[in-house]
Amino acid sequence: MNGVNITARAIAEATAPAASLVVQHLAKSYEVSGRMVPVIGDLSLTLDNGQIVSIVGPSGCGKTTLLNTLCGLVPPDSGRISWYGREITGQPQNVGYMLQKDLLLPWRTALGNVMVGLEIRGVNASEAKDRSRAMLDQLGLHGFADHYPSTLSGGMRQRVALARTLVNEPAVLLLDEPFASLDFQNKLLIESDTAKLVRRGGRSLLLITHDIEEAVSLADQVIVLSKRPTQVKAVYNIALGIERTDMMAARDSRDFSKYVRRIWADLDVVLQ
Amino acid sequence: MRTEIDSELGRITYLSAQKPVSSATRRRRRLRTAAIVLATQVALLAVLLGFWDRMTTNNSQAAFMFGSPSAMAGFLGQMVSDGSLWSDTYVTGLETLLGFLVGNFVGTVLGLSLWYSRFVSRVVEPFVIALGSIPIIALAPIIIIWFGTGLISKVAMSTLSVVIVALVTSYKGAVGVDPDQVNLMRTLGASKFQIFRKLVVPASLTDIFAGLKLTVGFALIGAIVGEFMSSSEGLGHAIFKAGSLYIIPKVFAALVATIALALLLTFLVGRTERLLMPWRRIH
Repeated sequence: MNGVNITARAIAEATAPAASLVVQHLAKSYEVSGRMVPVIGDLSLTLDNGQIVSIVGPSGCGKTTLLNTLCGLVPPDSGRISWYGREITGQPQNVGYMLQKDLLLPWRTALGNVMVGLEIRGVNASEAKDRSRAMLDQLGLHGFADHYPSTLSGGMRQRVALARTLVNEPAVLLLDEPFASLDFQNKLLIESDTAKLVRRGGRSLLLITHDIEEAVSLADQVIVLSKRPTQVKAVYNIALGIERTDMMAARDSRDFSKYVRRIWADLDVVLQ
Repeated sequence: MRTEIDSELGRITYLSAQKPVSSATRRRRRLRTAAIVLATQVALLAVLLGFWDRMTTNNSQAAFMFGSPSAMAGFLGQMVSDGSLWSDTYVTGLETLLGFLVGNFVGTVLGLSLWYSRFVSRVVEPFVIALGSIPIIALAPIIIIWFGTGLISKVAMSTLSVVIVALVTSYKGAVGVDPDQVNLMRTLGASKFQIFRKLVVPASLTDIFAGLKLTVGFALIGAIVGEFMSSSEGLGHAIFKAGSLYIIPKVFAALVATIALALLLTFLVGRTERLLMPWRRIH
């Protein structure tokens, strides 16, 4: 497994393809009571190296299906998914994954939860411990390493989940509504930290969210999806002309509300 | 918990705040609640025994049919002095414990490993249901033919009473693991065995322990039923003998010892649970 991992990274570095992830004409249907229901119609997108892309779409537009397909957890019906310039079926290497649910293991401490990925890859225990502790410190959880998740607040738990994702040093992060359950302050702070750690580390981030402000303030590009069967409806390159790690400054910038309003109009939200 | 926000760095720092109630005060409160619960339980027991005593003191017919607390205490004293209380409790306790351990071990290992293969679990499901619906007492004559009239046949009865329940509860625990959690482990690169060891087994502990608590009683029933069929010692033997001789208070005396055994085993299971699942102690 490690061999594949290294090869994938070596290829990514040597040939340096512009894109971490390229999706072409992806389609996926599910069978619901004997009838095929198309979820993803025809979807293409590109995530460049070091780029942050947000995906917004109306409720139930198959965002989670898209993410599970990209992660190799469900096979697509048709279309191509290439990671680091190579087409792979199944689990992509070097990709971190995080959901709205923190999915922390209640029987492990914060540190133990962060370590789980390193343990799985066979990193030796003391190195795994040091790296995980450092990652918790970076996310402001110094002194909480030995706490069980049940004793942590929602914001802290989500930070532990973020540390668990980042400690594996993924080249690409796939986040599905990761901050949706947090209050506004905690959300802004964890978004800022995420932006900093992703941009400084030169990582790419694909963020699936329903929060338009979150999408615009974090991302270089926002992709708006249509209703099911899902297609790309519009693509916005976000240029706010500021340091992109400060979520408050992003909201203060001149064009911020212009983007938010346009994307809102694209989503075509109607009261049901 | 206090949260401190340094706006310049956009960094959030969590500090443990002084708890409003000291741990000593909390412990005192908890002890007091426990004492009140215990006092109520003792009072309830005293009322029941008092009622029983009142109904049977001046009524020899009732005393014959239902025994009386004083006669029961007398038999308990006699069983202590002739040593049969200890030896019978020991014998039944050993049968129960062995049946409990073997049954739960086998059941849990089988139940958890069914997680590995949806195919195998679907194949064996009707067989498990069929086996689970057999009243164990119906098997007793065969068990005695196969395993004789000694310890082994009682352990076998006890094991059989436990194993299906343990299998079903642990399997339920294993398949009840959050599929998102399984997916997360897969994206972290975990093999099926790693998912089993690091996620499925610990996540099933809650259900496994629920099964353990449930099966204390089943293991005891198995052992006692085994003793009813054929035995020369044990609490079930004592109950059966006293019952056939119409010595009702002695039946109750042996039942008290049986209940004490069940309580002891349940207590030990609870202790083990707390030891093995330290994260559940804090809330």
